Amino acid sequence: MRLPRFDYLGPETLDQTLDLLATHKDDAKILAGGTDLLVRMKKGLLKPKTLISLKALNELSYINKKDGCIKIGARTSIADIIASDLIQKKAKALFQACEKIGAITIQHDRGTIGGNILQDNRCHHYNQSDFHRSGRQACHKDGGKICYAREEADRCNSTCQSDGATALMTLNAKIILARKGGERTMDLADFYTTDGIMPFAMESHELLKEIIIPIGGAQSAYKRLAYRSAIDYPIVCAGVLLKLSDTQKNEIDDVRIVVGAMGRSPLFLAQASSSLKGKKLSDTVAFKRAADIAMDNASTFAVHNVGATLEYRCAMVSQMVFQALEQAALAARE
Amino acid sequence: MSDYTSDYTIVGKRMPRVDSRAKVMGKAKFTADLKLPGMLVGKIKRSPYAHARILNIDTSKAEALPGVKAIVTGKETKGVKWGVFAYTRDQQFIQIEKVRYIGDEVAGVAAVDEDTALKALDLIEVTYEELPPVFDPMEAMVSETELIHEDFPNNINVHVNIDTGNVDENFEKAYYIREDTYVAPEESYFQAEPYAVAARFDHEDCLEVWCPNGGPHMKSKPLSNAFKLPLHKVKVKKIAIGGAFGGRSEICPVDYICALLAKKTKRPVRIQFTREENTIATRQGHAMITTHKTGVDKDGRVLARETTCYMDGGAYSSTGPIATSVPFLSMEQAYRMESVRYNGYRIYTNKPIRGMIRTHGRGFACGLDTQLDMIADHLGIDPVEMRLRNSRQPGEYTSTKSYVDSCAMDETIHKAVEKSGFKEKWGKLPPYHGIGIGTNSVQTGFPMGIRGGSQSFIKFNEDGEATVMSGVVDNGQGNDNMLVQIAAEELGLLPEDIHLVSADTETTSSDPGSYSQVSTFVGGHAVKIAAQNCREKLFEVASKLLKVEPDKLAAKNRLIFVKDDPGSKRCKASKSIPIKKVVRISLLNFNSVNAEGGYWPKVDMKREWVKNPYGQMCEAFSFGTTIVEVKVDPDTGQVEVLEATAAQDVGYGINPLVLEGQFEGALTMGGQGGMLTEYHEWKDGRCINPTMLDYKLPLACDMPKINTIIVESIDPKGPYGAKEAGMSIAMSAAQGYSAAVSNAIGVYMDSFPLTPDKILAAIKGKKAQAEKKTSKNNAVN
Ligand SMILES: Cc1cc2nc3c(=O)[nH]c(=O)nc-3n(C[C@H](O)[C@H](O)[C@H](O)COP(=O)(O)OP(=O)(O)OC[C@H]3O[C@@H](n4cnc5c(N)ncnc54)[C@H](O)[C@@H]3O)c2cc1C
Ligand code: SF4
Repeated sequence: MRLPRFDYLGPETLDQTLDLLATHKDDAKILAGGTDLLVRMKKGLLKPKTLISLKALNELSYINKKDGCIKIGARTSIADIIASDLIQKKAKALFQACEKIGAITIQHDRGTIGGNILQDNRCHHYNQSDFHRSGRQACHKDGGKICYAREEADRCNSTCQSDGATALMTLNAKIILARKGGERTMDLADFYTTDGIMPFAMESHELLKEIIIPIGGAQSAYKRLAYRSAIDYPIVCAGVLLKLSDTQKNEIDDVRIVVGAMGRSPLFLAQASSSLKGKKLSDTVAFKRAADIAMDNASTFAVHNVGATLEYRCAMVSQMVFQALEQAALAARE
Repeated sequence: MSDYTSDYTIVGKRMPRVDSRAKVMGKAKFTADLKLPGMLVGKIKRSPYAHARILNIDTSKAEALPGVKAIVTGKETKGVKWGVFAYTRDQQFIQIEKVRYIGDEVAGVAAVDEDTALKALDLIEVTYEELPPVFDPMEAMVSETELIHEDFPNNINVHVNIDTGNVDENFEKAYYIREDTYVAPEESYFQAEPYAVAARFDHEDCLEVWCPNGGPHMKSKPLSNAFKLPLHKVKVKKIAIGGAFGGRSEICPVDYICALLAKKTKRPVRIQFTREENTIATRQGHAMITTHKTGVDKDGRVLARETTCYMDGGAYSSTGPIATSVPFLSMEQAYRMESVRYNGYRIYTNKPIRGMIRTHGRGFACGLDTQLDMIADHLGIDPVEMRLRNSRQPGEYTSTKSYVDSCAMDETIHKAVEKSGFKEKWGKLPPYHGIGIGTNSVQTGFPMGIRGGSQSFIKFNEDGEATVMSGVVDNGQGNDNMLVQIAAEELGLLPEDIHLVSADTETTSSDPGSYSQVSTFVGGHAVKIAAQNCREKLFEVASKLLKVEPDKLAAKNRLIFVKDDPGSKRCKASKSIPIKKVVRISLLNFNSVNAEGGYWPKVDMKREWVKNPYGQMCEAFSFGTTIVEVKVDPDTGQVEVLEATAAQDVGYGINPLVLEGQFEGALTMGGQGGMLTEYHEWKDGRCINPTMLDYKLPLACDMPKINTIIVESIDPKGPYGAKEAGMSIAMSAAQGYSAAVSNAIGVYMDSFPLTPDKILAAIKGKKAQAEKKTSKNNAVN
């Protein structure tokens, strides 16, 4: 498969990059590691006129502790995140998620955390060659009016299979979007649209600059399922952030359950999360119940479009959530 | 009898393959690496419809595109059809009237570069009238819509019927009978090298072709027919090949299209497949629905079996008659049956074309072994004993009347059982741990008529080194090395003294090809005989120089010396002479030092896949046993394979290092991939997972610890007693994996591969049944 032709721009500073984005807008795409973007371009899914490379922007590659938060530059590589002591200790779920992304030799070294969050949603009817998509009507995401994954769907339900985004949403992360002359900060949880055609609430002249993870006293854990032990997107994944009560020993103050690879975005499951408020750390029955609620709620979003059967993926939500809860509880006890 | 002795110096020894270094260092040249002067890029226009009539093809816009050098359509092929057998010629090289699957070839383009060629494809306008497609073989048989091929009623392409007689009578006599149905979808080969072909016509109007192949002579003959060229004018050349597994045995329409483009443009043309094209537009393995009905006596011995198999053959015949038969043949070779009836139906559907694949019929074989385990369970016999009671023995005939000479099936079972600790583990493993055994057998060759034998030529050069010519092709399994080892052994040279010229139709003689496990047995044998003949010539000359009879001489380490002479052991100059010197003296005395040799297996030439499926199939059979131990996660259905033990009767191990590699590869393909993760998903005839990311090939890090056991039965006809390596492991591995998973979860599985969703559903089903039972019991109490 051929990479379509494009102009390559290599700005040296963030300001230059934002200038270029403001000029080229929709005609341009940011190139970070390229491990998502170039694959889609080869399949003919998008043909940007211009690629603006972040290669020279070392200023966007860092992991710091500041103001009670972990701050990660958007161009930081997956490998650097895995190697970070700070992330291993204070943002365990992100560490566990990144460890499992793709192949060590490609996605870890080339892939960036920004690109990981902003990788496009996937669907096995859409992430196909031009040839595969010919001879049939185009689907919503491909510019048409139908959906092959869910009959009668009025929108695209392509799946967000980002491990990083699921872990970060679990950790209550915020993101900073920069544009020429300004920037805005928002919760990652608020960053998603309701249509898989364009899953992110972001303007074409904006750049993801930084990810901010608050450091609380909470423990986190991340679990994922795939067919192979590497080079495989998750078919279900779950992150848990668990905070113990300051006053009651071994009692849960607050839990945050996020499930990934089941919908257009990572899914924060409020009902399942709140069901654990005030429960004991050893209350596996409550964990099980929460996991089942998570399964019921997450299942309504999922469609059969990323491999394995839908029934199996739905059933596995409960398993992944339960296992993540147990792991976080164990860590909290230690 | 075999001339086997135990004091070989080169064969039987572990040596790195002669081709390894170039491959691991990236120096080996594959077809996609070829750069010929003036070469054009070829691309194929394929059908986006599963079933449609071609109303019109307009190439004018594409032809007008600057950089486009030629476009070919079916008009130019004059409707020439291809088929492996005279009665299966159903595939036009380029379709004219109709397309029958998504990917069918409708035009070819040659252009100055890839971008231009791709643009030209878009500019070719094909008008179709869509026809109702049919994707399910069972539906295809009863479908009232337009037949896929009008000459084949009910869309049945091939029907193989085998009946030994007495089946119904023996069912009457049986003590216990079971009938079960097993299903498995299609699988793909995923050769590391996607298909590619380069072609050009030289200054003498000879057609030169480079492409991965299972036998260059299998490619040259149909090309010579199609272009009406004498065989000597079609030169299929040697090139490094990245895997075949049965998927590259016959000509590919694109070979023809590429040559046609080269002819039209008078320039070399190369066509390189994408990974998707390699998956959908070469071959796939058959999807199968297999029903085995087995009747046994009190001791579990099979009295009667009736097997009916429906195979999804896709759009064209390909090697259909063979593929419809081999699953059955493997079964009848591995197991004794007093009587058997087989009906194999290969059915056309509007899906990619199916051919032979290394694990012939995983659903067929795994179903059979699962059923044997169920019967054993019922009779209170353990699976090992069950196999020993039914296993093939030397000196017997198979159900279709092939004599089985060497056979160490039982030894493979015993050795694998011992190494794996099966006896200690069976029935005693913790919950959700399981162990299972599979046994199988494959043939070394098919009756192939005029191309059934192989010939080799050897010439000595004046520096004492030798050039060996053989038609055998190496498509990844190590055949080149095998030939070199044999030649070095027989000529008394070192492997580095041998220059191999192989798999080239211009310089090497006809050979059956390397897709029927025949390369060592026939091709290696031919080289051995040629080398022996050549050595005799050297001994004639040397005998005069050393003043001893030729039959007292031996050759080793570049020397010819007197056998059994105490002095010669240390190679005293008076009693030995360098081979190089003998060659030079010979030439100075007007004696040639070259020779030829050939080997033709004694098979029944009247045996035919459909019309007469009885008689001697080949001269030898290999036998394999694989035992697998697994742990299943009852919450996710995921399988962790703890250990796999593979034992094969290879006849004789010419290079144990290569054999181990073959066993490991076979286990990866047949077991880990074939039984756990690999299958295709479809949407309206479109293959949803044609790429390496979505089709779940196993990774090295997912592989278990593998024990390999080489069992030698020294076949009386095979070279040094050698037969075949690896394929009966690929087959038995699939069976061993499925048996182990069934054992771990306590449910006999009937749908393969055993993906986590199926395993989980089986565990749940079993739990639900148990609960129902207890609640019933409670109600009664
Ligand atoms: C074989 C394979 C396996 C994979 N497995 C996994 C997996 O298991 N889990 C997983 O989560 N992902 C997986 N991926 C997806 C991808 O490799 C990773 O998500 C990777 O982290 C993406 O980072 P990148 O820097 O390469 O992104 P790029 O491809 O460079 O960019 C992705 C997208 O984000 C945009 N972008 C990137 N950075 C910015 C920025 N700072 N501001 C604005 N826009 C930006 C790009 O324009 C593009 O649209 C896999 C990919 C492949 C090919
Ligand atoms: S979910 Fe539907 S609309 Fe979206 S990419 Fe898949 S097929 Fe297209």
